[in-house]
Amino acid sequence: MEEMPVQDLQNGESHYELAVKDVMLELIDDVSLGLCFEVHRACKFGTLFLGDTDPKSQREHELVDRPGVDVFGQVPTKKQFECMCPNCERNLAASRFAPHLEKCMGMGRNSSRIASRRQAAMAKETENRMVNPFITDDSPDDDNDVDWSYHVDKKVKRLKKDKLSNSPRRNKFHKFRNGDSNSDRSATPEPPSYELMSLEERKHLLLSTCGVISEHTKKMCTRSHKCPQHTDEQRQKVRSFLLGHSGVEDDVNIDIDSLDDLDGQLIRENLQWEAGSNASSPADSNSTNNSIGSSYKKPTGKSGKSKKKKYKGGHGGGSGVTSLTHSASDSNLYEFE
Amino acid sequence: DMKRKDAQMRATINQKLIETGERERLKELLRTRLIECGWRDQLKQHCKEVVKQKGLEHITVDDLVSEITPKGRALVPDNVKKELLQRIRTFLAQQSNI
Repeated sequence: MEEMPVQDLQNGESHYELAVKDVMLELIDDVSLGLCFEVHRACKFGTLFLGDTDPKSQREHELVDRPGVDVFGQVPTKKQFECMCPNCERNLAASRFAPHLEKCMGMGRNSSRIASRRQAAMAKETENRMVNPFITDDSPDDDNDVDWSYHVDKKVKRLKKDKLSNSPRRNKFHKFRNGDSNSDRSATPEPPSYELMSLEERKHLLLSTCGVISEHTKKMCTRSHKCPQHTDEQRQKVRSFLLGHSGVEDDVNIDIDSLDDLDGQLIRENLQWEAGSNASSPADSNSTNNSIGSSYKKPTGKSGKSKKKKYKGGHGGGSGVTSLTHSASDSNLYEFE
Repeated sequence: DMKRKDAQMRATINQKLIETGERERLKELLRTRLIECGWRDQLKQHCKEVVKQKGLEHITVDDLVSEITPKGRALVPDNVKKELLQRIRTFLAQQSNI
């Protein structure tokens, strides 16, 4: 674009500046024209004066532009809204209205919980009142006040007692003491009280499990005969204890070789059975016969006593052989069969 | 002669503004600024008064335009004017470089 000569024509302004100014004015005129068209259209449609009210209210509701105050002229503090409960007709703060209504109308989780608790307390109270004529008429709400009334302690005690009596730990003790209390609630049916079981059942159990009775829990160990927690000696003790101390002498515990309790036939039976079933060394199978002999007619389990015999006897085979010969000494072990 | 040059100059300016689309952009900018400063509401109020004066039934566009335009020009705040002028000058200065 070519350079314009800087000539003062109109009030010290150059042509150029005037031209620029005129451009601006044209732009302003365009915008004004736009507004005119809009207003004219509104006139012809009848929407021009639609939003207007009478001058009085117009003045009243004019926009407020003062500092420290909002457009309505109000100071911006939080106003507490109050409302009236339709149920109980009380004036309530709006933020507390919803929870109050829940309790007031009796709908909702919490209110039913509280109501049922109150019911229980009331029922107990009336029951107590029949029992104890000296109880004063405290409202159920006072139940929370432990110092006050006699029947409150009962409720608290009962709650506590209920909790405790249901715990599994207590159940264990109960089993061995009472025998049948809480037996339904226990999670573990095993081990049942050895006092309750008949001889047959005990034998059966001792055959299949280790059976050593723990000092703390008075429970029989339910692991296999080879359970690492208990020694064979313990197992022996348990068996003698459970089976009624049927005249087993001490040397049964001490001297393995004398623990030859099998009758000829029994031994042979067991031998056959063991030989068939047990793929381990013949020493093992022989020595197991001994332990089985000390158990019963049912040679079901392999006994951990086999280990013990091996250790003490030195030669598993030897002990086995000797056991065959000494059969009479502990025949009384299975006399009761 | 001067007038012819003047007219030629203006024509050129306008041509440049339109061709590049700068005119539209400037107009949009102006509209925004005028709404922000409340010029539009002021002017609309004035329109209503004119309509009330002239009568709703008989108002014409020309009536409105002739009444509104000078008022409009006068009501534009100075800062808006200055901004617009600056932009035009800048644009034209750029144009002369290309």
